This record gives sequence, structure tokens and C-alpha cells, in this order.
Amino acid sequence: MLTVAPPDAVELRSNATFEALMWALSRPGDIRTLPDAGFDAIAETLVDLECSAYADTSEMRERIVASGAMLADRIGDADHVFITALEDAGQQLAEINCGTALYPDDGATLIVAAAHRGQRLRLSGPGIKDATEIALDLPSGFWAMRDLLCLYPEGFDIFCVDGDKVIGIPRSTKVEVL
Amino acid sequence: MSLASLTKDWAATSYGFLDASAKRELRRKMLKAIAVPGCQMPYASREVPMARGWGTGGLQVTLTLVNSASVVKVIDQGADDGVNAASIRRFISRVSGAAETWDTLSATIVQSRHRIPEEIMREDQVLVLQVPNPEPLRGVEPNISIARQMHADADYGKLWLTLYEQIVRKGRIMQGASYPAMVNGRHVMTPSPIPRWDVPKLNMARHLTFLSAGREKRLHAVPPYTRVEPLVFSDRPYQVEDHADLTCRRSGVRGFFMNELPQDGGGSVFEVSDSNLGIKAIDKADGSAIEIGETWYRNGEYSA
Repeated sequence: MLTVAPPDAVELRSNATFEALMWALSRPGDIRTLPDAGFDAIAETLVDLECSAYADTSEMRERIVASGAMLADRIGDADHVFITALEDAGQQLAEINCGTALYPDDGATLIVAAAHRGQRLRLSGPGIKDATEIALDLPSGFWAMRDLLCLYPEGFDIFCVDGDKVIGIPRSTKVEVL
Repeated sequence: MSLASLTKDWAATSYGFLDASAKRELRRKMLKAIAVPGCQMPYASREVPMARGWGTGGLQVTLTLVNSASVVKVIDQGADDGVNAASIRRFISRVSGAAETWDTLSATIVQSRHRIPEEIMREDQVLVLQVPNPEPLRGVEPNISIARQMHADADYGKLWLTLYEQIVRKGRIMQGASYPAMVNGRHVMTPSPIPRWDVPKLNMARHLTFLSAGREKRLHAVPPYTRVEPLVFSDRPYQVEDHADLTCRRSGVRGFFMNELPQDGGGSVFEVSDSNLGIKAIDKADGSAIEIGETWYRNGEYSA
């Protein structure tokens, strides 16, 4: 008879975190709730020794090393990028890995701390019935740069984390700054 | 960092069968699959206690999603009681504690081989399709490296040509199942061997769909509200199977996808392929308080 261990705390947290991330990316603009605030649960859910990751805080760098992932010195070398503060309207992200048309899955996942208020944006594309409007505290220059980088199907996918709330913006989404 | 911090205590099994590292890999690929709808993402495809080709791809996606609050429905060609479907459902339930159901309306995860249920799926539901061959270009380009380049170039001329040749030779498009469909105007995918009848259900759907091929180690996804357009010529409209006027001999429902049962001495009788819809119709006719959800097809016409 098969006996199965009950889920441990990590499994429960990862499962709930992934569910939030999955629905956030499936319905861009929808606000989903993570089981824990901050980047830790997301890193725990996605990053392990098969990944390379970049972070702009020392705590997050320690977290990445502890997961067994390769710590990238440059953003361009990372497939998971954890950013708490965008500099120069996000110009530091200009070298982010956008994959290739042959391998779109090489495009990076950007996890960025951004308050869910401020600049109004209109989103359209897969996952959105017609169009939806959201507010995100990211500089408008960031979206101009994203337009230049995301030559679909190349591009990078964004999770905007505000406390325990997350908004997903995949590369397939068209973002208009209002 | 110490060795102890990188390992954890020994356990005989993992919750949900797959170990944490397998799940993380699948999660990363599932997110990328959602971000680029219809684009095939390679993944490792671990061993599961089932032979490749029997739904291992769908099973791995389901095992990654499942938790003890999930309600799982598994169908095989529309039926919940086929031995493959029943075994997969029981396995998922045993390793995760998830509830089992036959009812599309009460499921949170629907894993399916070759059919999409007739009742409209909701925003909160996930459809997991088992895919034998995820590459729509395989028939025209057996070299997978060249096929990948063709996807990168959006070069689907050879697919159009096969459809054109079918019209020239037979007078109509003969492609029955696995009808190639353009997703989000960019990638052509095979929707797994669902009949033509089911392909419109993926277009601008409310639910999220994962299509996973365990043997071929690739998965792709169709997020909600994503365009899924079968490849057709403007003067040859897309045609679904001619089942609108057929009646199920057991439940009496009409206008749904049917299984044909050839009879001795010629002729055929028909049974509704979504078997639980038939069961619910019979129970309802017997006076039970059964809720039959809104269906994609009404009176044999697609109308969602």
C-alpha cells in the first residue's frame, strides 16, 4: 500500500506561490496574493541549482547562493532577476536575457518590487478579454525599453511584487502608458 | 552554507509523487509556456509509475498543480471510467489527497486525453491535455531542429500546403484530430488529438489550458482569452464533425460529439462521447436534482 508523506511547509508554500504566479501571468493585470510577502517564496518556488540568478540586495544574493543556483554578476547572465530598485528608469535591465526566436524559453523572468499604484497602464493581449487598466509604480522609460527589447516571441516576463500582492506581465502583453 | 542546508531529511516518498526539484523545473517551464502561448517548451519529463505515452506529460503537470484542496477529473476519450483515466485519477488522489470527481462543474483540474468536456469550463479551472505528438510540423518536417527553425521563422507554408493538397485530392480537408491552429497569431500548435469539434472551445476560452507531452518532453499552453484559430482558407470555412443531428441512444441528448458504434448488418448507433454529460442527462430525466452546466454547443451549433 502506497503511503504518502503529508506536504511539508515548503511544499505548501511553493504550491500556493506557484498558483498565484501562474494565474497572475495567465491574466495579466489581475492582482494575486502570495502566501508570504516579498521575494523569498518566489525564489523558493522557482530557483534551484539548475538556474542562474541576479539580485541587487545582499540578502537576496545569499538566498540565491543557498538555493544552489549560480549567482550572476551581470543581469544579462541571469535567467531570474530580482530587483528591488530600478535605476535610471531601469536602464540597468537593458542587457536582460530575452532569449531567441529559436529558444524563447531562455528569456529571463524579472521579479521587481513595484507598488501597485501610480502610473496608469492599459494592458491588452493573451489573458485579457478586451483591455484592462492597472496602476504600477514603474517609470514610463521602463516600458519604452521593454518595447524595444521584447520582440515577440523574444522577451522577458515580469512579476511586480508589492508586499504579498503580485501582478504578472508576460512578454505577450501590450502595455500602453496612459 | 553547509551540506545540511542543501539537503533535507530522508523521506520514502514526496508529496504529489514528484520531488521538489522536478516540480520547480516544471513550474519554470509552465510559466514560460503561458508567456509564449502555443510555443513548445522543452522539459525534463521525469519517470512516473506509468509508461511513456499513457499520459505521463499530463500527469506531471497535474502533479505539479495539485494540492489537498484540488478536485480532479480525468477523462479518456470523454469517458471518466476508462481504465487509463480511472487509474490516473486514483493515483493523483492517492499521492496528493485531492478529491476525485466525474463532474466537470465541480473539478478544479481536468486532465484529459483527446477530448474537451462539453460543459463550458470556468475562469478558475485548469485543463491539462495529454499530448502524444506536440509538433504540428512533424508530418512535413521530420528533423526537429529544422522544425524549430521553422517555428522561429513562423514558416508554416508546408502546413498550408498539406491542407491544400487534401482539398485538391479529396475535395475537402481530411485532417480529423490534431487540427493545426494558430495561437496568438504567431505559433502554430497541435491541440493534441482532440476532434475538430473541440478546437473552437480553446479560442478565447475562460480557462487555462496546458498541453504536455511526456514522451516528447515538451509542453505548451493556451492562456485564457487567447486567440486559437484553426488554419483554414478564406473560401473554405472550418468545419466540425457532422454530429449536430445525432442522438445518444442511452441518454437521448442531441447535438454533442458522439461515439459511433457500428452494428452487425450495417448501420450505426451513437453514444455521447462526454460520458458524464450523458449520465447527468439520464439522472436528470429520472428526476434527480442534477445541474447540467452551460455547454459550448447548443442545438449542435457552437455558440460560446
